[in-house]
Amino acid sequence: MARAKKNSAEKTPEASVFYIVGLVLLGIVVAAFIVSLFWTPFEPDATDAASKLMAPCASHPFGTDNFGRDVLSRIMSASKYTIFISIAGVAIALALGTIAGIPAGYFGGFTDRGIMLIGNSIMCFPGILLALVAVAVFGASVGNVIWALGLVFAPTFARVCRVGTMEIKELDYITHARVMGVRPLRIMTFHIFPNLVPQLLPATVIGLANMTLFESGMSYLGLGVQPPDASFGKMLADAQAYVRVAPWLIIFPALMLVFYILGLYFISEGLRISLSKGGK
Amino acid sequence: MNKYILKSVTVLSAAGLIFTVLAGCGKKPADENNYAVVGITQEPGIFDPHTVVAAGDEEIIYNIYEGLYKFDYEGNLNPCLATDVEISDDASVYTFTIRKGVKFHDGSDLDPIDVVYSLKRAAGLIDGQNGVALVSELDSVKDVEELSDGKVKVTLEEGNSEVMSYFTTGIIPEGYDNCQAAPVGTGPFKFDSYNPGQSVILVKNDKYWQKGLPYLDKVTFKVCADMDAGLTELSSGSIDIFPYLTSDRAAQLDTSRYNILSNGSNMVQVFALNNKVEPLNDVRVRKAINYAINRKDIISVTMDGNGVELVTAMSPAMGSYYDPSLNGTYDQDISKAKELMAEAGYENGFDITCTVTSSYLIHVNTAVELASELKAIGINMQIQQVDWATWLDTVYTGRDYETTVIALTSTYAPYDVLGRYQTSDGGNFINYSNSEVDELMAKIPLTTDVAERTELYHQVLAILTEDACSAYIQDPTTITAVSTRLEGYHVYPMYVQDMSTVKLVTN
Amino acid sequence: MQSKASYLIGKTVELILTLLVVSLLVFAAFSVIPGDTARVMLGPDATESQVELLRAELGLDKPLAARYLSWLLGLLTFNPGKSYAYNVSVSGLIAQRLPVTIGMSIIAMIMVILISYPLAVLSSRKPGRLGDQICSVIGHVLFAIPPYVASLLLILLTSSVFSLLTVGNYVSPSEDFFEYIGCLLLPSFAVALPKIAMSFKFLRSSIIEQKSADYVRTAKSHGMSDLKILIRHVLPNSNVSSITIISIILSDILGGSLIVEQVFNLPGLGRLLLSAISRRDFPLLSGIVFYLALVTVLLYFISDIAASFADPRIRLK
Repeated sequence: MARAKKNSAEKTPEASVFYIVGLVLLGIVVAAFIVSLFWTPFEPDATDAASKLMAPCASHPFGTDNFGRDVLSRIMSASKYTIFISIAGVAIALALGTIAGIPAGYFGGFTDRGIMLIGNSIMCFPGILLALVAVAVFGASVGNVIWALGLVFAPTFARVCRVGTMEIKELDYITHARVMGVRPLRIMTFHIFPNLVPQLLPATVIGLANMTLFESGMSYLGLGVQPPDASFGKMLADAQAYVRVAPWLIIFPALMLVFYILGLYFISEGLRISLSKGGK
Repeated sequence: MNKYILKSVTVLSAAGLIFTVLAGCGKKPADENNYAVVGITQEPGIFDPHTVVAAGDEEIIYNIYEGLYKFDYEGNLNPCLATDVEISDDASVYTFTIRKGVKFHDGSDLDPIDVVYSLKRAAGLIDGQNGVALVSELDSVKDVEELSDGKVKVTLEEGNSEVMSYFTTGIIPEGYDNCQAAPVGTGPFKFDSYNPGQSVILVKNDKYWQKGLPYLDKVTFKVCADMDAGLTELSSGSIDIFPYLTSDRAAQLDTSRYNILSNGSNMVQVFALNNKVEPLNDVRVRKAINYAINRKDIISVTMDGNGVELVTAMSPAMGSYYDPSLNGTYDQDISKAKELMAEAGYENGFDITCTVTSSYLIHVNTAVELASELKAIGINMQIQQVDWATWLDTVYTGRDYETTVIALTSTYAPYDVLGRYQTSDGGNFINYSNSEVDELMAKIPLTTDVAERTELYHQVLAILTEDACSAYIQDPTTITAVSTRLEGYHVYPMYVQDMSTVKLVTN
Repeated sequence: MQSKASYLIGKTVELILTLLVVSLLVFAAFSVIPGDTARVMLGPDATESQVELLRAELGLDKPLAARYLSWLLGLLTFNPGKSYAYNVSVSGLIAQRLPVTIGMSIIAMIMVILISYPLAVLSSRKPGRLGDQICSVIGHVLFAIPPYVASLLLILLTSSVFSLLTVGNYVSPSEDFFEYIGCLLLPSFAVALPKIAMSFKFLRSSIIEQKSADYVRTAKSHGMSDLKILIRHVLPNSNVSSITIISIILSDILGGSLIVEQVFNLPGLGRLLLSAISRRDFPLLSGIVFYLALVTVLLYFISDIAASFADPRIRLK
């Protein structure tokens, strides 16, 4: 009875609905990004004092900002930095996190303690200070900030991997493999890592979202994307002052940001459902 | 041992406090609303009138300490703790008559000996100070002595007609050295408490020498994280006065609850060009930059049009010291700018970096607009934001930068405004060097005739403008929101919040 | 048992080591970034000699390494030193800011638990049904709204539409406890929103997973009621992951309320941290980081132990 219910629940169009909605939302952001590589309605950085803070109209469908720059063009070019920073940052965090987290969970003992010691220390260290250090040492470029972001977020992934590995390695087939003399590296790569994917996927999406937020938070200290370039988060931070007089400065970047995070989220949900179904 | 003393002192003062409170209860009930909360965006930290330099501290302690002379909101220097001054012909000896009947916050009388101590302390003449002046502009003071008839004589190392505006420095009781923890002055308000990073509370000085002032019982300076946080507090009614707004923010406020006041700030916002860095060491490039920018657009974008265009290192607010004939020297002229670029060998432009502090939005926005405008003559300007501490360290003191945007604050002293363009001056962060300017600046303090001195200032300004030492942008307007329940507030053209004249609206 | 005792000792050693590494990191960071406390305090108009004077007064003329060592020695006697910029003790400053940060964390955490637990239980009852789908969609959307966008919207809503709660007027708990709670409600909600979604999502999937486990079916076939199964078996087992998630959320709230504090102008630890960084106040920053690190490490420490009690398969090592 319970099994039947479960099957009917997860076989339903749920997974594909998630995929479709997710792809549509993400598609909007990615399409804006791709088109911006070739064409934007206006030059995104060109200021024009005469037409500042214009409400959405025919020539500027998303309005203009306090510099008279076209918001639509800026959103399109901002999608580039948002996508780039979040994906690159999460990729670094994910790579560092799995490389550190799986062995920590698998071997336990001193390996575990050493790795978690470093991870916990980084987690306790203010991310903004870390970014400040990266900028002071390597210069204020987007790339350096991405490394700093990756490092800040790595321990989160390491924790997820570690806990997951500790659960999985107690399963029968891993014990079997170990008894049969399969090398630890092989076990970790081919047996444990694939099974961590369902747990890592939501963490990755959360990471992507947090990364986007953290990046905009850093712009308070002038780190991250440097003006006149923008990311969604930075556009929002800049627009804060105009929340009452020019709400379109908030609404459109906020929508795009929400589309981006939500799109990723739905896709990961769809993936998780298909994976857990395939795993049974 | 020390700890016990400290503890008993604390207990005693707490007991004292309770007594005062109880005593206060017996008196007639004060009007509960007779207070004002002023929003500030810079965290205060220093309350010593002689070591204070930061603008954010000065605007608070203006209410606690007073000098021999005092500026008013129109920029006039008026007698305060001195009733008058006699200046010798070569401007090297200043003799002040000290006002009688003034009391310090601790109850003691103001005597000439207090003035001598304060000025000596400021000038670094007290034993143990090793001659390091706390107020660097008073470094030239050689001796301060008390004369018989309630007068104080100040002798300078050499004549200086520009030193008068520094006799505004605060006077404290003789021998007092604890101004940082417990400020004692003669001002309209007494220091009550300091809540680090949150607020400074001042209370009325009942024995203030100017009869009838101040009106308010209590003034709180409350720290707001930034302008927008302050705006939020304003709209919720938790602060009454908030200075340094931009007009687009001010426009969001309910006019039935807030009056919007504005005044020139006497600041000089400059697109500073490092004169030692290639290609900015070429005067033609600097001129081209001056011709390429549109100051009106920058003011429109950054201050919503509320600023005065500048062409040179001084604001027109400086009155006769400013030379109005310079107006219009660098009106936007792209073709001329391009010609100059070509002459200098940069017809294809060049890349340059603008290191700007993220702590001040106006400067970041100015840099963004500048970068967009400079594209017209082929200059590709990258913006690099750094935090304030980094900016001070690498750009201002380290001078390791190409261009930056900053506002230079000043008092009403023209010498302060132009002093930094001397080759060896510590504030000459643009690395400007012109021997003619150096000579003129050395001559000015020795010149006692005002007209002659003004003419010398005009000459300096003319050279600075001709050399296009940097690109001057604007004197941004100070906009202040004041709750309609208060009146009598004046916007000063410098960093000052004068609360002595503020009172409740009576109706 | 002996293993538990040695486990505790091991963890304590680990805790001390972590704190040591963190403080070393702060020290390393400070030796790298440019900026000078005295210069920041005095501003650009101060002359070099004035800055020099203040530097000597604050003891900044000593090398950073020496200052770090004396700070570390001070810690042994539970004295984290005096802030340069504020000229008062670091512990006093932190204590002053704690009510905001702790209050916000607790209120936000209560909101997270109160909203996400019942919702997760409800929607996992009949996964795939309309109610579940709506909850999930709302959860996803909430999760995708950044806290400061939420803050801005909340400010707009409350100040212009309802004018119920005063925004930006912080009242300390000693003045008026209820007003203190009142002024923290909105910011806490802004912080809690995405966390509610996060916790809901994890709980829901973990309950669904547990429900399909063999032992639940066995219990069911033995005639145990659904509610009993839920309380006795499903929830305790989903606790393993939710404990981890909750500790992550708590440390997130602790470290992530910075922007919300900024928007609502609340004098919390996050703002103190920011001003310590921007003023290059080494003792203050070390103090705050050390304190935050201590709390975070303790949180994980507790969550590790709790997880091992909830699921004996995770062995304590």
